[in-house]
Parts: sequence; structure tokens; C-alpha cells
Amino acid sequence: MVEKREEFNAFVTRNVAPFAEQWDRDQQVPAGVISQMAQAGYLGCSLPPEYGGQGWDIVTFGLLNEAFGRASSALTGVLTVQAMVSMALLKWGTTEQKRRWLPPLAKGEMLGAFALTEPGAGSAMQSLVTEFTGNSQGLVLNGSKKWISCAQFAAVFLVFGTLGGRSVACVVPKDTPGLRIEPISDLLGFRAAGLAQLHFQDVEVPSANLVGKPGYALSHVAPVGLHYGRISTACSALGLLRGCFEESIAHAAMRKIGDKTVGDMGMVRSLIARMGTDLEAASALCHTACRAEDEHRPEAFEKTLMAKYFTSRAVVRAASDAVQIQGAAGCHGSSAVSRYYRDAKIMEIIEGTTQIHEDILGRIFVDQAGGCGTSTRAD
Amino acid sequence: MSTADANGIKQAIRSFILSSIAVPDLDDDANLFESGIVNSLFAVQLMTFIEKTFAMEMGRDDLDIENFKSLNATTAFVLRKNGRPSG
Repeated sequence: MVEKREEFNAFVTRNVAPFAEQWDRDQQVPAGVISQMAQAGYLGCSLPPEYGGQGWDIVTFGLLNEAFGRASSALTGVLTVQAMVSMALLKWGTTEQKRRWLPPLAKGEMLGAFALTEPGAGSAMQSLVTEFTGNSQGLVLNGSKKWISCAQFAAVFLVFGTLGGRSVACVVPKDTPGLRIEPISDLLGFRAAGLAQLHFQDVEVPSANLVGKPGYALSHVAPVGLHYGRISTACSALGLLRGCFEESIAHAAMRKIGDKTVGDMGMVRSLIARMGTDLEAASALCHTACRAEDEHRPEAFEKTLMAKYFTSRAVVRAASDAVQIQGAAGCHGSSAVSRYYRDAKIMEIIEGTTQIHEDILGRIFVDQAGGCGTSTRAD
Repeated sequence: MSTADANGIKQAIRSFILSSIAVPDLDDDANLFESGIVNSLFAVQLMTFIEKTFAMEMGRDDLDIENFKSLNATTAFVLRKNGRPSG
């Protein structure tokens, strides 16, 4: 485990950190670094070796995302989305689908994107209006998807919609006639994550591309993808939180004000104390979630929700404080923390907003307390 | 598969369901999904519980609400599935 952490940190130090600011300004990541990630096996790291993946456990996947998240939230988005598509296909794909799509995804020869969000349906998955209809040749797809991470460079999309009133998920290659990809630029954060809007107009896809059975896309297929997306995002946010902390303590120790350092100021130490404690707590939650998934425990889903919920909120606080500690310098593009500040807010939005997490977690906790099995009520 | 085994499976599933949803009691044939008593993650949590507890893997072919709609249906599914590889 230590060796893997060192490997990931070395990769990021060499290939990601020196360039992340420029990618943010350019609003794109170069194909070269994605090729390097593919060659290192990172894009299929959680897939089994029988499909060309590394077969790494989720704790290791978490470490990978944390290392990348320390340097570039946008690039980590590639790991996030690739896992979402790959793991949903691994769980619910047919033998033929797995044989066809998983090897190129595992080797990074092909990137995937998870096309769930719509202009009128973000976290409200039940409101999907993208529609598949059947014809004698197969399926015809019409509709639109928005805010789709990595859509600018993905070769295949896992598209969610309805078919005869039932939810479905379907693999749609990017070169399918009738699919138009419209890049989205000038985002607050994650500016290099290749977001795009997808427009489907009479797009014909074979019925054989349906993943899972009709009626189970929102209850079973999407939750598997979102689960891995949340693990990745939580660990990416953990890396960003570590970045905020390290930048802050370095600044506090080195920056002189008169004959004192910034770190000599009690109010700055208060901010750093909160940041460092949040970092430890977030690390524990992320590790617990990854372990639960490795042990295939049902509570892995709620542990992951908690890790993503806590870490994404903590990193927003930490990034704000990191800017505060640096003062005016932290507000300029030459300071890494200004990018961290913008990227941090995105963590509270993607793979389910903070409010959606509160809604789901709140219900889970109440249900657990109210269930007959664990009730403590005196009635 | 003995009756004792079947009862053990049903009891294990019952305990899991009752630890996950807020109901005072659970009728063996109560429809879990139509009643609206389960949260949005319950379906995948139940799937994971079954896979881990009974050492089986579910796949596309197992996606059928009839397999999981109630305690009795889920118990019957596990009994049928036991020892049969997933498609």
C-alpha cells in the first residue's frame, strides 16, 4: 500500500502537478497525460485482469484518486467517470457487452462518460425526459444531456433515459449519427474536465447496447456507477483538502509579517487547526468507505455517502480558509489556492449535491432507528 | 436445502430489511417497493447483502422485481439461485 501511494505521488509530481495550472487556464487536459495514465494502468485499475484491468482493491483506487486530487481535480474527473462507466458495465452488462467494451476501457484506449444529468433533471433522476423508442432496427434516441464530465474526449457514453415509460441505460458510441457534442466552457471549477452538452436527434442504437433490463436503470444501474463516482469524488476532495492544508501550513510557517510569521497569529492557527482536523476526519471516512466496499458490505453505500458529504463540505471550508490565510495573494491566479477554491465548490455539486446527500442520509438514519430491528422506542 | 436452511435464510433477510427500513413489523408477503417504505439505495443494498451473505453474484438476468418484491419472494430467489452461476 505504501509503495502504491509513493508510485501515485511520484506520477502526479512528475506528470500532473507542474501542468495543472496551465490546463486550468487552457480549459483542457492534453491527450498526452491521459495516455500516460492509460499506460500506467490507472484508467482500468478497478476492473478485473480478465478484462485487461489491474484488479486493484478500492482502498488502492481511493489512494489513486487522492493523489491525483491533490494536484488536479479536473484530471481526477477522468478517473471518476471512467470508473462510473466501467463498473456499471461490469456489474450489469451482458457477456457480449463486457467482452466488447471493458478491454478498451480497461486499457484506456477508450474513455467513457456517464450521461445522466439533463438540462431539466440534475439530482432529480426520476425527471428524465431523454427518450428511447423502439423500431424494427433497434432503438431511436432523442433528447439532451448537460454538464457531462469528460464528454469532450469520451468515445462512448452510458446514456440514461426512458423506454416505454421505464428507465433504461444504453451504450452510445460518440460517432453515432445524430449525436452532437457541444463543449461547455467557463465553468467555475473543474475547467479542464471536458464538460459538454449532448444532443441526440434520431440517434439509432442497437437494442443489444441496453445495459441491465428496462425498468432497472435508475434503481440498479445508475446507483452502481454513482457509488464509484462518489468514492472517487470523496477521495479526490480529500486530496484537494490535503492541498489546502499543505499550502496553508507552508505559508503560515514561511510568510513573515514584521518579525513574526503568519503562523504566529492565533486566528490563523485556529483556521489551520480546523483544516487539519477535518483532513484527518475526512481521511478516516474515505478509508472506511473504501474498506466497506472492498468487503462488499451493504453499508458501503451509506459510508460512501458520508465520506463524500463530509469531505466535499470540508474542502469548501478549507479552500476558503486557505485563500483567507494567503490574503490578496490567494486571490490571484498565480496562487494554487485560488484554483483550489474554485474546484472545491464543484465537489459539493457533482455525483449528488450536498442537499441530496443530506436527504438520503437523513432518511437512512431515521429508517435505521425506526426499524423494528434496532428500534429503541418505548411504545 | 432443508427447511431449517430456508428458515435461516428468511430470518437473515428479515433482519436485514428491518435494520434498513422504518416499519414496526414485516409481513412475509408485504410488497417492499410498491409501499414506498424503502429509500432510494435499498435496492442495491439488498442486492449487496444477498451477494455477500449467501456468497452469490447477481447479474442482469436476476433483475426482476418479482425476485425481491417481498420477504418471501427474496427468500425464494435465494433458494433458487443458490449454487447456480449468474448470467
